[in-house]
Amino acid sequence: MSSRINRRTLVKGTAGAAGAAALATSSVYHVPNVIARQEKTPVVFWTGFTAQALESLQRITDEFNAQSEDVEVTLEQIPPGEVTDSARLITAVRGGTGPDVYMLDRFIVAERAATGLLTDLTSLLEDNGADPSLSDHIGFAAAEATYEGAPYALPFDTDVRALYYNRTLLSEAGADLEAFDAANGPMTWDALKEAANMANIDNESGDNFAQMGYVPYFNQAWHYTYGFSWGADFFNEEGCEVTPNSPEMIEAMQWVYDYCAELDPSKVQAFIQAARVPGAPPQESPWTQNRLATMVTGDWQIAQNREYAPDMDYGITYLPVPEDGMESATWAGGWSLVIPEGAQQPEAATQFLMFACGEPGQRIYTEDTAHIPTLLALQEDASLFEERHTFFVNELLPTTNNRPPLPVGARYWDDMTAAFERIWLNEEEPEPALNNAKDATMTLLTPFCPIG
Amino acid sequence: MTRTERKNLWLGLLFISPWIIGFLAFLVYPIWYTVELSFTRYGGFGVPEWIGLDNYTRMLDDRLFWISVWNTVYYTGLAVPIGVVVAMVLALAMNQPLPEIPIYRAILFLPSVLPLFAVSFIFLTLLDPNDGIVNELLRRIGFSPPNWFGDPDYAKIGIVAIAQFGAGQIALVFLAGLKGIPQHLYEAAMLDGAGPIRRFFSVTLPLLTPIILYDIILGISLGMQVFTQSYIITQGGPAQSTTFYVYYLYDNAFTYGGQMGYASAMAVVLFLFTFIIAGLVFVTSKRWVHYDLS
Repeated sequence: MSSRINRRTLVKGTAGAAGAAALATSSVYHVPNVIARQEKTPVVFWTGFTAQALESLQRITDEFNAQSEDVEVTLEQIPPGEVTDSARLITAVRGGTGPDVYMLDRFIVAERAATGLLTDLTSLLEDNGADPSLSDHIGFAAAEATYEGAPYALPFDTDVRALYYNRTLLSEAGADLEAFDAANGPMTWDALKEAANMANIDNESGDNFAQMGYVPYFNQAWHYTYGFSWGADFFNEEGCEVTPNSPEMIEAMQWVYDYCAELDPSKVQAFIQAARVPGAPPQESPWTQNRLATMVTGDWQIAQNREYAPDMDYGITYLPVPEDGMESATWAGGWSLVIPEGAQQPEAATQFLMFACGEPGQRIYTEDTAHIPTLLALQEDASLFEERHTFFVNELLPTTNNRPPLPVGARYWDDMTAAFERIWLNEEEPEPALNNAKDATMTLLTPFCPIG
Repeated sequence: MTRTERKNLWLGLLFISPWIIGFLAFLVYPIWYTVELSFTRYGGFGVPEWIGLDNYTRMLDDRLFWISVWNTVYYTGLAVPIGVVVAMVLALAMNQPLPEIPIYRAILFLPSVLPLFAVSFIFLTLLDPNDGIVNELLRRIGFSPPNWFGDPDYAKIGIVAIAQFGAGQIALVFLAGLKGIPQHLYEAAMLDGAGPIRRFFSVTLPLLTPIILYDIILGISLGMQVFTQSYIITQGGPAQSTTFYVYYLYDNAFTYGGQMGYASAMAVVLFLFTFIIAGLVFVTSKRWVHYDLS
């Protein structure tokens, strides 16, 4: 009899077990949190960074926590995706569970600020004795972080694009390495094409490439890259219109169109497909695998090569020019830290922003990842840059271009990317593709006009 | 209504009130809010600005909107009939009178329990143009394999193939339908000299038509909302060939600033469009669905 369990016993037992579990849970998880909160203000920091960059952010966070007496930052990685996709942030902020600090690509700061997603940092910076004009940062980075005269972000880093070339692969293909030497100035895009095509090798079945000389849309070979090189402007402030269909841009895109047409667009695409998935690890890159002879990318590749392809014999030179004698042009981007609207701890978050985007944080990030600091004072510190990196800071940065910071920056990027994709796939001629990109972006831009 | 009946009614309502509250809070209110937002310009924060029917009229001139409609209709038009055939074949396989059939059923059903995002990554590897097993097999039998997710002509077909991983779910419904067909009908057909193919088309298929109708309506509804595969594998490309309706809606809501109102209007149009298509299928079903054995 005593071993039988009736319904009442079962209910009592279950309730008792649940109560004990609740008590145990609260004693394990809740009490230390209360103590932690009393000691340090918790700040949650979200990023979609991966690999090396993520490790460096962790180092910055740890350094901050070690020196801060009243703030404790927790770095949380969110799944990587397209840089313009802010779904996770928007929904979390709307639900009241957003982070205190968020890493945002700087060219869409204006767009996110215009919708009310970001906190105006003016008073927070002033309260902490910082200059809200961001005058200690390089000019274009400060402009990108500002919307309607107010700072909505602190610039974290910048970067410049150049042409990387693998000496071994080019020599094996019989290309003239002298033409790639930066000391001889920039080569032309056509000269690059000629040398690169010598390095193309088919795979065993002959339907795809096993090795390529250059892929005209891989990594940082974007629409903007060619546009700036051909001298295109992307925004006409007076007319308040985007201009992705300027004659220079059409000519630039024609070069890409023809390049792919000669090689079979589908074959080229198949070669780099795996490496183009957002968040693909650096090991997936045909460059790292010694199967791509040249590539347009940014200064950060120096650090990636150091880690993932330490034995590669490679060089860095200016981006090519459309015609001999023209000035080489490049462009810079970069990231920033923002405080989303509704952040629980904006004051504590500001302290972290000032550390990470100030000298301590930018110094760590430059050392770890070979990006360029936006702080003018650090750009002058030669000890931060190895020889290859110096080329970016001294030769390219002073004359670099940047994308127009527009309240429709993400849409403009996507529309140009869609047009670019149609062009390199030879699905559409450059002019109609770019005209469509302009029409699509203008629909969204017009309500914001005038901009200035 | 007597006092007891009234009491029972209130008691009944009380018992189902968690569902009623959930239904009102998580379904009716969001739908109503979406309709309301569809008449505004809104970025997700601050006060929505009333703009009347502007979001709806904008769709008429929005080229990408029409591309997304075409992509979605193309996908649904392909995925739904293929889905019906695949599910039915699976159900027929699951219905074989073998002692070890439970094991085969589990194996055939297994892909359906995988989350769609995991299946997407599996297909990314299977259909890789360089090292993917599918292209390798095609090469070995003498075909020139396509670049599935890199070629605008094949990307949607690749995504249709992924959808078949979920066919096990509906195959179970088909299996239940097969089990419900009285054995004496087959016996009578056999006595009349009907072979296996004739038995399938004259007995099995007509009696499965209610389930086919259910599958088509469900398939249309899910097909119109296709999103995950495109988000993970192709990001709407190549050349916007997998920018499906909901993918574009998502971009408007979460990627482009200030377009939450437009995204809401798109959601309303999707609802109405799906409703109308499902209604049309339902109306035509009277001609080809057999509900009884008489």
